[in-house]
Amino acid sequence: MLRPRLLSGVLARWTGGADRLQSSRNFGVSNFLLKKADDSEQEEQKQVVAKSIFDMKEKNKNSYIDMVRKYNERNVLKRGHVEFIYAAMKHMDEFGVSKDLEVYKALIGIFPKGKMIPRNLFQEAFQHYPKHQQCATDILEKMEQNGVIPDMEVEVMLTNVFGKTGHPVRKFMRMYYWMPKFNNLSPWPLPKPVPDDPFELAKLALQRITSVDLLTKINTFDSKDLEDSLDKTWILSAQSPLQKEILGRLPSDQPLYVEGAFKIWLRSECVQYFVLRGKPKPYQPRPTMDEIDDVSNLKSPYIDEEAAEKTLEPLRTVHEQAEGTIIAIAATGTSSKDSLLSWIRFLQKTNPPLDRIPVLFSMTSPFGQVVPVNDSAGNQGQRLSD
Amino acid sequence: MAETLKLCQVLLRRRLLKLGYSSSRQSFHTSARNQIYDKDSKGGFRKEGDLNFPSRTEMIRDGFKQLKGEIMLWKEEVKEKLAMDPLMVARKGEVDVQWHFNNPEELAKFQLNSDKDHNHGYSTCEFKMSPSGKGLFTGFIDTRVPKDGIINTAGYCSMRTYRARKSFKRDSYLNWSMYNTLVMRVRGDGRSYQLNIANAGYFDQMWNDVFNFVLYTRGGPYWQLSKIPFSKFFYVSKGRVQDKQRPINLEMVSHFGITATDNSSGEFNLEIDYIGLEFDPAHQETFAYEMYKHDNFIVGH
Repeated sequence: MLRPRLLSGVLARWTGGADRLQSSRNFGVSNFLLKKADDSEQEEQKQVVAKSIFDMKEKNKNSYIDMVRKYNERNVLKRGHVEFIYAAMKHMDEFGVSKDLEVYKALIGIFPKGKMIPRNLFQEAFQHYPKHQQCATDILEKMEQNGVIPDMEVEVMLTNVFGKTGHPVRKFMRMYYWMPKFNNLSPWPLPKPVPDDPFELAKLALQRITSVDLLTKINTFDSKDLEDSLDKTWILSAQSPLQKEILGRLPSDQPLYVEGAFKIWLRSECVQYFVLRGKPKPYQPRPTMDEIDDVSNLKSPYIDEEAAEKTLEPLRTVHEQAEGTIIAIAATGTSSKDSLLSWIRFLQKTNPPLDRIPVLFSMTSPFGQVVPVNDSAGNQGQRLSD
Repeated sequence: MAETLKLCQVLLRRRLLKLGYSSSRQSFHTSARNQIYDKDSKGGFRKEGDLNFPSRTEMIRDGFKQLKGEIMLWKEEVKEKLAMDPLMVARKGEVDVQWHFNNPEELAKFQLNSDKDHNHGYSTCEFKMSPSGKGLFTGFIDTRVPKDGIINTAGYCSMRTYRARKSFKRDSYLNWSMYNTLVMRVRGDGRSYQLNIANAGYFDQMWNDVFNFVLYTRGGPYWQLSKIPFSKFFYVSKGRVQDKQRPINLEMVSHFGITATDNSSGEFNLEIDYIGLEFDPAHQETFAYEMYKHDNFIVGH
């Protein structure tokens, strides 16, 4: 029916791009399109048996682009290119190329150039070649969802295919305007993509967590250096001079707690970290309005030292939170109790007060949900008495 | 709270009957662009419980119970109008807290929503008190797309205030025009959250007017104080950033909400101490985005 498409074409000018809901498309690419004249019998057999051309052993960017190139070569007339593009987009995640601009450009390059540019007002108004325009818009939508920012070459390609008044170019304009604005907004910038290596990830995570105190030093230890450790792993420990000072002032009768593992997200990766905290510093009781207004027993803070102490309270540091006083933060390779023990041993070398203050492991924490921790890398954990 | 909700259901039922929905259980159809005019202000995104109405006599009885409370509210409104001494200026450096999550009653002021409620996904969420006595918005974002051939993307959870109301359940607005900054004391998990300030208008095109910005969280055991000026919020309707941008109208705030819609599957935890408003005289910016003049017939006027 013509009418809904007409309205949708006009309405599309108000809001742009593909919506979350889209009509069902279940297309498979027929093997007929890919038959070569000089194929051997064995290869033909393979092509007939294969479920789809995307079933291949090595799934990476090269094989994906190679597949697109083969389609272009064997199919000069571009029959069924919309169906092919949709099928290719479905398999992008398998090949691991969802965040690659070159791959998206390869898909946009499949469209025939010049044929679908509107040549008069009516064609311009009524979404000339709507199925193809929707397909190109869907490619751009997938780019947007994966956070891939297009470049000017994409605009040129789309203009050559659909003309500058088409929906794909207009969606490109929106992406090109808005995406760079949000790209670097985060106050805690992260590399794109984040590293795969757990050690590098943990380092980034600790830098992010301890950015509250700029003097924080992140030290790397290895539990191999300790003789009686079971887990041989790296340990990253973050502590600032201010925290060492606070630790020095803590009384020996109040134990410190090692709590964790907590999770922090860095883009789509998760890092587990642990916190060494002490009992929270109690807030001094604030005088009520009646006490402030009571002038019967005024004491001058300039003359009376006791009164001066009462009226003034030293400023809390950022580490003295309501839930506890944070002494140090760590991340280890195995996130096990044994690695945490090694961490405490290492900390004792740089923090002499830790020798006199007992350290306990805690299963619950006022800081939030705790992921249960193993005894050591192999064994499942048991509850330690607090 | 439950009685207030029941009266709202009475009014909702009348409205839904007018729109053409019968009392029997129907699955709502969320339409994209099949129609010019969508009569439903929620676009079909209603939960199953919306259609479970109590009996007529019960509704009438509940209505009469509400009457006294509503008249008291109305009396206060009349007194305030006659006094004619509204607050017009906010003091510098003071944060006027709107929602302070230190007791469970504050949690009830927010309604939760996720894609699972509309059969568009598998994410779950809840809003409860945290171990340290603050509000905790937590859940699981699942980016698995349900295989019904219609849904394209999935994975969102949101919490939103109920519509600001006057006496007799009349829709009203929150007036934030004294302030220019949103202040939130939160402890996140490193994920980014979307802040939504709705400016629901009278006409159907404006029912879904929302202003969005991102709340970046540091993660870790340290609390963070995020101050976001209202000039940074950009104009959005039904999840799509609009071409013709305009600054937020702070006199017509209908809802405030937070959405967790990071594109990664997994748990999310956002601990909130308070959400408040501040007037920062040093912030002179009115709107952060360029107000370009568009070509004809490209963008709606």
